[in-house]
Amino acid sequence: MADIRDLHLRVPSVKKEWIAFLASHGLSGFSDAEVASVDSVIGLFDGDRLVGTGAIAGNVLKFIAVDEGDVPGANFNQVVSELQTRLMMAGHSHMMVFTKPQYETSFGHVGFTTLAKTAVGVLLEAGAPGIKQYLTQLPGVQDQAHKQVAAIVMNANPFTQGHRYLVEKAAAENEIVDVFVVSTDRSLFTSAERMQLVQAGVADLKNVRVYPGGDYMVSYATFPAYFLKSGDDVIRYQTTLDARLFRDWVAPTLHISRRYVGEEPKSHTTAIYNTVLAKELPPAVQLIVVPRLTQAGTVVTATQVRQALANHQLATVQDFLPVSTWQFIQDHQDELLKRIAKGVNIRGN
Amino acid sequence: MEIKKTALAGTLESSDIQITLSPATSGGIQIDLDSAVASQYGDQIKDVITTTLQGFQIENALVKAVDKGALDCVIKARTVAVAQRALEQTEPAWEVL
Repeated sequence: MADIRDLHLRVPSVKKEWIAFLASHGLSGFSDAEVASVDSVIGLFDGDRLVGTGAIAGNVLKFIAVDEGDVPGANFNQVVSELQTRLMMAGHSHMMVFTKPQYETSFGHVGFTTLAKTAVGVLLEAGAPGIKQYLTQLPGVQDQAHKQVAAIVMNANPFTQGHRYLVEKAAAENEIVDVFVVSTDRSLFTSAERMQLVQAGVADLKNVRVYPGGDYMVSYATFPAYFLKSGDDVIRYQTTLDARLFRDWVAPTLHISRRYVGEEPKSHTTAIYNTVLAKELPPAVQLIVVPRLTQAGTVVTATQVRQALANHQLATVQDFLPVSTWQFIQDHQDELLKRIAKGVNIRGN
Repeated sequence: MEIKKTALAGTLESSDIQITLSPATSGGIQIDLDSAVASQYGDQIKDVITTTLQGFQIENALVKAVDKGALDCVIKARTVAVAQRALEQTEPAWEVL
């Protein structure tokens, strides 16, 4: 029986063997940033020979590759089992995996549910709460059947007049609007702050509901390229999974028939995302692209707000912000500047 | 008894069973079982899990069980372990054993 050991990738010889093992199983071409983002890596050894590996990063299982031993599936099950136990001990009771389509069945055998798939990859989850629980436990979703429901997914880093304009338009054109705020905490404003600013910014719109996007909407699990600089192919593939997950799980459960997005003149990643949404969502969900709000001839974006904050020129963007966001930034300017000084990326999303 | 947190016990290795127990507010003990032998032994496996959880006075719970051919004694042991973890009990529950 093979045994599990930790792999310390800081040791060059260990890393070299690991990379070679992954390459022999068709896994290669990932960036150093992606390798550096993992929390722990395990190796399955038969004597001194590496026969399997896997890693965890946040609540995601990654870099899983195994040799087939004497008993079919045994090595795979042992690796996945160990990773699941470690995730659970780290407090992640809900876990996800991004893998190649040929492994879908293997993960199915160990209790994973498929969330979305494309020709090149599949996204699965296990543990609790799963997507069904997440969606059905959102307060207020019970009365959404037979109503005209629209959805907007936003990072809102921070919430601007541009976001407000998009929500207002959707609120005027639909009976209910569900706003999902990206939950992943990799932006200048924390997810709690972004959530709070969105709630404050739309509080007067009675038919708007604000929810955290959880692991399912533009999360670090479904769409890492939103947060890490990546090539176009990677972005296209990840956004396709994200779009299909929305179309096949979120929209039917919540009776959403329209999704609103802002037109994207500036962010390359988001522009690709919009194109992919337009291709994947219809006819089940209608995609409505709204031209950006302009203020005195310039397009309102959160990127400019963060830039102005970093350059100590906040006054130049006051017109871009609702009172609630403006007030928050005034009150927390020192803290935000500290985060920027510490190296939080303000140019991405 | 109220489940405090989601817990996991067991492995996916042959002859074992991996059980995840998470809180529910209603609906009784709901078991989602994956097993190659579900058609022959599914009811028996669920029965062992349910009876063991009832021993802990757990009334409502979501159970995910991935069975790899575990015997009843293994199923019971894993259920006891997962229940104690989910209830955050450290003392062995002698009366259930």
